[in-house]
Amino acid sequence: MVSLAATFGRGAMTNHWRDIKNADLILINGANPAEAHPVGFQWFMRAKLDRGAKIIHADPRFTRTSAVADMYLRIRTGSDVAYFGGLINYVLQNNLFHDAYVRNYTNASFIVKDGYSFKDGLFSGYDASKRTYNIATWSYETDSATGFAMRDLTLQHPRSVFQLMKQHYSRYTPEMVSSITGIPVADFKKVAELVGQMGKPDKVMTIVYAVGLTHHTTGGQLIRSGAALQLLLGNMGRPGGGMNAERGHANIQGNTDHAISWEILPGYLRIPAPGQKTIAEYVAASAPKKSDKNSWNFFGTNYSKFMVSTLKAWFGDAAKKDNEFAFDFIPKPASNASWMTIYDQALKGKMEGLILSGMTAASIGPDSNQVRDALGKLKWLVVMDALPTTSSEFWHAPGVDAASVKTEVFMVPTTHWIEKDGSFVNSGRWSQWKDQVLPPEGQARHDHWILADVFQRVKKLYQSQGGKFPDPVMALTFNYKDATKPELDEIAKEINGKDLTTGKQLASFALLKDDGTTTTGDWIYTGSYTEAGNLMKRRQGVQDPKANDPTGMGFFANWAWSWPLNRRVMYNRASADLDGKPWDATRPGITWDGSKWVGDVPDYPPTMDPHDPASWLPFIMNGEGVGRLFSNSMIDGPFPEHYEPVESPVANPLHPANSASPVAFLYDQAAGRPNRFGDAKEFPYIATSYRLTEHEHYVTQHVPHLVQLQPKAFVEIPYELANEKGIKNGEQVRVSSKRGKLEVAALVTKRLGALTVAGQKVYQIGIPIHWGYVGLSADSDPGKGRYWLANALTPFVGDANARTPEFKAFLVNVEKL
Amino acid sequence: MATKIKAGESYGFFTDTSVCIGCKACEVACKEWNELQGNNATFLADSFDNTGALDAQNWRHVKFVEHVPDKPATEGNGFAWLMMSDVCKHCKQASCMEVCPTNAIIRTEFDTVFIQQDVCNGCRNCVAACPYGVIGMNSQTGTAHKCTLCYDRLQGGLEPACAKACPTQSIQFGPLAELQQAADVRLAALHSQGQTQAQLYGRDDKVYGGLNAFFLLMDKPETYGLPNADNAKLPSRNNVGGYVGAAITAVLAVVAGLVAFRRRGEAA
Amino acid sequence: MIYLEAEHFVRAPEWTWYILFYFFFAGLAGGAYVLGSLLRLSGDARDEPAARVAFLVSLPATLICPILLTADLNASWMRFWHMMVNTTPGDAGLNFKYWSPMSVGVWGLLLFGFFVGISALDAWLRNRGSFGLLPMAVNRVFNVLGSLVGIFIASYTGVLISVSNQPVWSDTWALGGLFLASGLSGAAALLALLIRNRPEASFSLGRLHQADGYFSALELALIVVFFITVGAAGSLSREVPWLPLWALAVVGVAASLVEARGHMRMRPSGSGTVAGIRLDTVVVSLLALIGVLALRAAVIFSAQ
Ligand SMILES: Nc1nc2c(c(=O)[nH]1)N[C@H]1C(S)=C(S)[C@@H](COP(=O)(O)OP(=O)(O)OC[C@H]3O[C@@H](n4cnc5c(=O)[nH]c(N)nc54)[C@H](O)[C@@H]3O)O[C@H]1N2
Ligand SMILES: Nc1nc2c(c(=O)[nH]1)N[C@H]1C(S)=C(S)[C@@H](COP(=O)(O)OP(=O)(O)OC[C@H]3O[C@@H](n4cnc5c(=O)[nH]c(N)nc54)[C@H](O)[C@@H]3O)O[C@H]1N2
Ligand code: SF4
Ligand code: SF4
Ligand code: SF4
Ligand code: SF4
Ligand code: SF4
Ligand SMILES: [Mo]
Repeated sequence: MVSLAATFGRGAMTNHWRDIKNADLILINGANPAEAHPVGFQWFMRAKLDRGAKIIHADPRFTRTSAVADMYLRIRTGSDVAYFGGLINYVLQNNLFHDAYVRNYTNASFIVKDGYSFKDGLFSGYDASKRTYNIATWSYETDSATGFAMRDLTLQHPRSVFQLMKQHYSRYTPEMVSSITGIPVADFKKVAELVGQMGKPDKVMTIVYAVGLTHHTTGGQLIRSGAALQLLLGNMGRPGGGMNAERGHANIQGNTDHAISWEILPGYLRIPAPGQKTIAEYVAASAPKKSDKNSWNFFGTNYSKFMVSTLKAWFGDAAKKDNEFAFDFIPKPASNASWMTIYDQALKGKMEGLILSGMTAASIGPDSNQVRDALGKLKWLVVMDALPTTSSEFWHAPGVDAASVKTEVFMVPTTHWIEKDGSFVNSGRWSQWKDQVLPPEGQARHDHWILADVFQRVKKLYQSQGGKFPDPVMALTFNYKDATKPELDEIAKEINGKDLTTGKQLASFALLKDDGTTTTGDWIYTGSYTEAGNLMKRRQGVQDPKANDPTGMGFFANWAWSWPLNRRVMYNRASADLDGKPWDATRPGITWDGSKWVGDVPDYPPTMDPHDPASWLPFIMNGEGVGRLFSNSMIDGPFPEHYEPVESPVANPLHPANSASPVAFLYDQAAGRPNRFGDAKEFPYIATSYRLTEHEHYVTQHVPHLVQLQPKAFVEIPYELANEKGIKNGEQVRVSSKRGKLEVAALVTKRLGALTVAGQKVYQIGIPIHWGYVGLSADSDPGKGRYWLANALTPFVGDANARTPEFKAFLVNVEKL
Repeated sequence: MATKIKAGESYGFFTDTSVCIGCKACEVACKEWNELQGNNATFLADSFDNTGALDAQNWRHVKFVEHVPDKPATEGNGFAWLMMSDVCKHCKQASCMEVCPTNAIIRTEFDTVFIQQDVCNGCRNCVAACPYGVIGMNSQTGTAHKCTLCYDRLQGGLEPACAKACPTQSIQFGPLAELQQAADVRLAALHSQGQTQAQLYGRDDKVYGGLNAFFLLMDKPETYGLPNADNAKLPSRNNVGGYVGAAITAVLAVVAGLVAFRRRGEAA
Repeated sequence: MIYLEAEHFVRAPEWTWYILFYFFFAGLAGGAYVLGSLLRLSGDARDEPAARVAFLVSLPATLICPILLTADLNASWMRFWHMMVNTTPGDAGLNFKYWSPMSVGVWGLLLFGFFVGISALDAWLRNRGSFGLLPMAVNRVFNVLGSLVGIFIASYTGVLISVSNQPVWSDTWALGGLFLASGLSGAAALLALLIRNRPEASFSLGRLHQADGYFSALELALIVVFFITVGAAGSLSREVPWLPLWALAVVGVAASLVEARGHMRMRPSGSGTVAGIRLDTVVVSLLALIGVLALRAAVIFSAQ
């Protein structure tokens, strides 16, 4: 998500599920949609069946997605930058990029400041002692008069992004790609030829990815490499194109939008930093800056309106102009507070208690044995869940001496999402309202009721006992019919926001103001619950495709509601040429009809004439107004570069001296604990972890029908390796890493196999994540699933940008039991 | 699904294995709708199949056959890792129906094959007869069970649960004639893409007079555990041979008996 | 050699013990009735006592059959009833499907019960006094008709399993005949066993052994046919685990053959008795009966 925002301006799937049917070519990297998104996968099949689209799936394993793909490539995990880099090189060397698009809609023409360099795997500005870059060395050269970036539309300037990019990727020859990824040169060339066709205006390709790219210490760069390729081919903003992140849980997109990550506030406003005292200071440090005269810089321009309206929603009358709208009520974290940091702090004994809700720390995080130790160092742990989890049961897990665990564990039964109404926001940003399906069971209460009740009690304590800085708690808006039982519909209405002068619901975030007269709980949702009601409940769909989807592009504008402003394909100004005509008339996004933009909801001022010399550039969220091939919003490099996973059996063929990411965050080392990384001598095999269709993480371990479908923990072992080791299909094996072990059954298969990487033969093995010591399978196991947690193996390291753990590439050994 | 379901028309399934993704949604949807509990969970180490076979608790079963070459790059396209959602074929000439002594097995007004639970007496003759191993005995009721083609749903105007759940339209439900047309189009498309091994199974009358639940296969029928046209025979084929064999034996035996007992007036 | 690979993808009906014993008793019941009739028809009055034993013994053997079948149907008489009457709502009528041996078999069993009941009662009455239920002339006709049904009862179980898609069973046409021959052989052995200590019937003992010999020869021939046909269909490998049962069956056949030879005479005049071994009737008969059971077990189990 970080990398998409750093490239296009917003961190979300750019298109939407149904749109995939419009593609000519579908590259799937680091995703297994047939298994993890089977319902969404119908649109891949429609593209294949109805328009003869080709699907190319690159994955360490031949999966159920590969089974229907036109071409499957066995790729080494963590090497997709090389794959996309090789494709970028092929496209650039053979002039197959979409010329007009690249010149006008990307920052190819922008000129980078002198001093930027890349050598031996390091970009300029590296500080080895801190393991960080000074990213100021990656800025544009600016015109001293206007402050805008210098551009060279001929793309010839040696420091133009275009030339630097060409040079950067010239190292990614097919041979190099093959040596890094393991994909044979001839097969890679076949793919390159297909992809090379997609720069033509009447062709369009989509790239689909998920956590197979994210779960790496290079995750951000892996994704950005695909995004850059898409910009070069002119596939962004277009129906059938895009860089499409398939999100996880049914509502994970909604989670992110509403700031489940520590570093953002709702609507991707940045969390304020220590020292910022005023809204102006905050906006200056957080908002994108306009760097071209034709850049609208919509986000940057309106940042303060969004922030003030949010503060107004939260603190009501207590947020006044003369107290900076209560800006000082907002916490300003001094240090990182991402997932792994929390358990790192707990391990260090710096945390007293923890509330887990709808997530089981003991299964999902890397190095789960260490995470379990961390839980054991807490004074108290609250688990809000509908079911027992490995976290609620961690203190008496098999092999744990319950008496020795001092943590007090509280289980607070909540309703499951199926027992409440509310919205689900899918990957395509469609917020769809659902009904309650089942009544709550037993004494379970809704999460939001529990939280509301806790809040009221805390407030009462402040009232009766006082305390430090009570203001944010006392001032918090809580205008619900029942202050301990808010309804989700009330909350949705509040999130949309209103005009305080008229009392009316707002129809668009364009109406938000920074004078304290408007509110919003999350500006990107303004427009979802207007005076017309809750638009997320709309259901005008395939009952009448002609009426509900007049363009046939699958927009279905009156089905639910999608952010921003019910727009279905983001950046859709880029789907049309400079004159406002669609690049491909058969697949229009928006079209200039002479007086206005028609088609999808334009991601652009609706009546802005493209012929007006002052008209805005298409990527309105970016300061540049264009898509970024080169981005200084990433803290690990402006151009994606291949780095090895932290644990790898080979040295980086591009720059062996700087093999892994020089800025990946090494938690143990940073905390003064010894790094626990294995090497290929002791742990010769590459492992990756993933999902199976039949299970949803850990929770379906409680569902008999699904447990029957995949009843037992197993690992997938390549046939050839199994033969070498005398392991027969179905036998028990031990898989161990530097950090822990699994003892499970082996599923021997030719769907995994050997690769030749950097001249070496390597094997990859596959580890489904779904088992642990809680659930029906564990109950029926004599060992109670003691050695079934996949994350016992994974390393405690994080990507530099998002601190996402490296779940997808680590070293293990395999023994027959 | 737009079709209106009318009594008196022929309905069935066209299952296109080339687009099946083995998600087993059909298996689970069937169990949910029909309130089947499923069997005890056992790990079979057979690709991704842990169901094993169609039986009284599994009226849909997704088969997995791995033919994936051990190569770093290969084609998928539905024939490297074969997946097929198996079900009762609702045969035009149904072996099960042929042998059932109680007439519990009937053709419904939707031209599907249905076992009436209150008529079935649990003799298992149909189990022995079904060439596809479809029917299983429910140990609690002691009666024969199999896919009903969601008879109850069809009567209520709903498409079958499995077809509704299938995300890729691998299972298509509808009037037989429409399905056959769709299948011909799909087969032609695959053939034109050079997938000449693709074939329709049960689309014509070569197996059991045609199957209401027919398939597009990406390999030989035997690979999926389906008898080919040469092997697809009705149980009644053996009536004549069996009885004639018995009759000849009877004649010989009677003659032999008469010979043995014929001699009169002899001492023992 | 495999001529045609018959592919079977069926599921086993799990017909096991009840069915095995049903097949066994049906064979004996049908066989005994046929033997009784033959003994009576042969015309020698000295065979009449043995004939009556045959009719009498076929009664319990027949009566066990529906009990076993009902037990197999979850011990519900209602379920047996469903075989005869169509219980489909609004579709009343009798169930009779000539192409389904199971359906025909139910009626056959009913009909046979009628013949056996009358003939057994008749034999019982004759054994007690001098009058039978039917005059002897009528009895003969009646016995002939009953024997036709008896032949059916002894053989249709083989046809029944053939009329399926199970491997082995459906791969051969020999089972009806095989079950009949073995049923007759078993019935002959059983009769021999029952009359061995009855002086009034002992006249028939040698003849029964002799008949058993012919039936066993027939059975042996059919076993060969069975193996050839099953082999041609490619299902022979399924017999391998059951070879011990086949061996038992062949031992039964062999015992019958050896014993029959011991009772064989060259000429009707009786001048030259073939010198042969005569084994103890109890041993021979038990071996033959075990063979009958083993043969059915081998056939039933090898398919499933
Ligand atoms: N059935 C099911 N569906 C789910 C979930 C579930 O638990 N069960 N979870 C949901 C959630 S929360 C999420 S986040 C999504 C995740 O959806 P996906 O990302 O599709 O799921 P994964 O199985 O984790 O990983 C996808 C694939 O990435 C491959 N892979 C690993 N490393 C690499 C790499 O470096 N390069 C490439 N090209 N491929 C790689 C793996 O072999 C795997 O096949 O799924 C969602 N959907
Ligand atoms: N090695 C490895 N580790 C991984 C991954 C991987 O690919 N490899 N994937 C990672 C990813 S992407 C993810 S998303 C995580 C998934 O990890 P989790 O999110 O922890 O997995 P779930 O089992 O989906 O847990 C959801 C919990 O929420 C509960 N729940 C459901 N509805 C509600 C509700 O309304 N309220 C409350 N309070 N609880 C509810 C369920 O009962 C369940 O216990 O795992 C991560 N870990
Ligand atoms: S589980 Fe729900 S969200 Fe996931 S693919 Fe199936 S329908 Fe979609
Ligand atoms: S597949 Fe089997 S159960 Fe289904 S109709 Fe045909 S014979 Fe009967
Ligand atoms: S088990 Fe039931 S359905 Fe099957 S043949 Fe017997 S009576 Fe008919
Ligand atoms: S038609 Fe109905 S009963 Fe048959 S498999 Fe599908 S869901 Fe199950
Ligand atoms: S639901 Fe459809 S795609 Fe999934 S396994 Fe069944 S037939 Fe295949
Ligand atoms: Mo996720």
